[in-house]
Amino acid sequence: MLAIHVYLTAVLFLSLIGLYSMAFKRNMIRILLGLEIILNAANLSFIAFSARFTGQVDLLGQSIVVMSIVLGGCVVAIGLSMVLNAYKHYKTLDVRELRRLKW
Amino acid sequence: MSEFLPYPLISLLAGAMVVLFAGVLEERLGQGRTKEALSVIFIALALIGCLILYKDVTSQPLGVMVLSIGAEPPLGACFEIDLLSVFMTFSVVFLGLFAVVYSFRYMEHDTRLAEYYSLLLLMMAGMVGVALAGDFFTFFIFWELMCISSYVLVAFRRELWGPIEAGFKYLTMSALGGVLIFLGMSLLYGMAGNVNFAYMSVGIDWGTAGVWAYLAFILLFLGFGIKAAIVPMHTWLPDAHPEAPSPISAMLSGIVIETGLYGLVRILFVVFLPNAVLLPRGPETFKYVVAVFSVLTMTIGNIMALLQKDIKRLLAYSSIAQVGYMLVGVASGTTYGLLGCFLHVFNHSLMKGLAFLASGAMVYRIGTRNLDEMKGLGHYMPVTTMALAISLLGLGGVPSTNGFVSKFILFGSALAPGVNMWWLTLIGVLNSAFSMAYYLPIIIRLITKPAEKSSELKEAPILMLIPMCIMAILIIVFGIYPRPVLQLADSASKALIEGLQGYISKVIP
Repeated sequence: MLAIHVYLTAVLFLSLIGLYSMAFKRNMIRILLGLEIILNAANLSFIAFSARFTGQVDLLGQSIVVMSIVLGGCVVAIGLSMVLNAYKHYKTLDVRELRRLKW
Repeated sequence: MSEFLPYPLISLLAGAMVVLFAGVLEERLGQGRTKEALSVIFIALALIGCLILYKDVTSQPLGVMVLSIGAEPPLGACFEIDLLSVFMTFSVVFLGLFAVVYSFRYMEHDTRLAEYYSLLLLMMAGMVGVALAGDFFTFFIFWELMCISSYVLVAFRRELWGPIEAGFKYLTMSALGGVLIFLGMSLLYGMAGNVNFAYMSVGIDWGTAGVWAYLAFILLFLGFGIKAAIVPMHTWLPDAHPEAPSPISAMLSGIVIETGLYGLVRILFVVFLPNAVLLPRGPETFKYVVAVFSVLTMTIGNIMALLQKDIKRLLAYSSIAQVGYMLVGVASGTTYGLLGCFLHVFNHSLMKGLAFLASGAMVYRIGTRNLDEMKGLGHYMPVTTMALAISLLGLGGVPSTNGFVSKFILFGSALAPGVNMWWLTLIGVLNSAFSMAYYLPIIIRLITKPAEKSSELKEAPILMLIPMCIMAILIIVFGIYPRPVLQLADSASKALIEGLQGYISKVIP
């Protein structure tokens, strides 16, 4: 079994990839993918910690991850439906075109 | 262990299902108003459920009740309620009642109304669940329920470009906030071994936690800060609030962002602050982080509000400033400060709810949100203008409105001995005075003489006026006689700080 630090490093890198994708990508679908990557980093973190205490797997961490996958699916579904509607209005997926609202 | 049933939550969730089916049936059969009536009935039931919970909680010796689902805590999920939960639940359901009654006329030209009322009830159920949750797992599920339904409600008028653009921005930022909360929660889980609030409060080995505790705090602060619109995480709010339908703006501004604040306060005062002395420079760090963000939030919110020409956008920025005032009470960390914070949550939900509803009624009549085109509107819509004026004066903190009472307590709390943050009081009072610079011009613009006579404009429909008038009267009543709400908020803040031992010992025998 790998040490917990290996998993936590993976969590860190996954979060950074997701944050980069959300901050700098122009395609709206890629932004949603970035969101999903960070969520999966958090899931991985839960899974890694769930094996930490008793020697065997803690049920609580596993069940939280199952619920969080469902919730993440819901969020992305709503997000994709908004992307679809935005495409109808703007005829593009470039998020920089969505600038009609002023600051 | 099951001492109670979460009546408001059951009523709202059942209401969401029933309203959806009733609405769909109604669309098949033709016109009808069953879904509106049903949503009011279920919200009224939730309000009664709130009173039952209040009675039950006050009769408990510890002032805490636990309902575990499945296994016992820490393995099973649980609801754990104290007076603070009841207070938040009451605020949510109370404002929701007004927003739903107002929606009858405001939304009548829209289609898909069954989904609208159902989602509104689900959003309220999410907030109630967040307030009642006793562990992070339950908390997160209801948090996402609230968030997901609010994304759809903001982008409800999908045939316009504005709501879609604002909705996408809101979704990306708020979902990022949810994910950051989840990441922070995983770190706390890694330290404590479970996610129950009470177990986390005592189960973490703070001596060795060090950096990890601060990392978890930063992630949770960022996540809740995005939802509570703390500057610089506020950028979704001024887009999402104006573009949403007005009753939804009232709900979002009045109580959804305060739910983010509630989450922050709960986790800060149950998990972090009681153990902060074990961390290197712990208590000061947590307090000063909140204080600095409070100053940033109120100052930038007020300055940006001054620059706006769009009335709902102005009110959205003013909400940011009001969150800044609430953070003053959190930064002080005393019972008195939290009393001000919770009192302001309730008062702000009345005032900002009324402000959004009244400006929504004007938008309903004239079809624009531009302040310059509203000149002289007071001559055609006197009652609406009066209500808006009362709410704006309340937001500015004029004595004899309820905004004055809570602001007085908030700013006074930073001066208390042991807190010693006089600069916070100074900046807060200056900001509060400064905010009149954008509230008063709205009132002046509305009551000046109109340029030309228009016979088409008339007063808002009666079903919109009733909730607005009741809220305006309540603002004055609670300004002159604040005792009932004050006592409720007082016991809520005492439950959080002085009742912490009871909160923990109820779960851990």
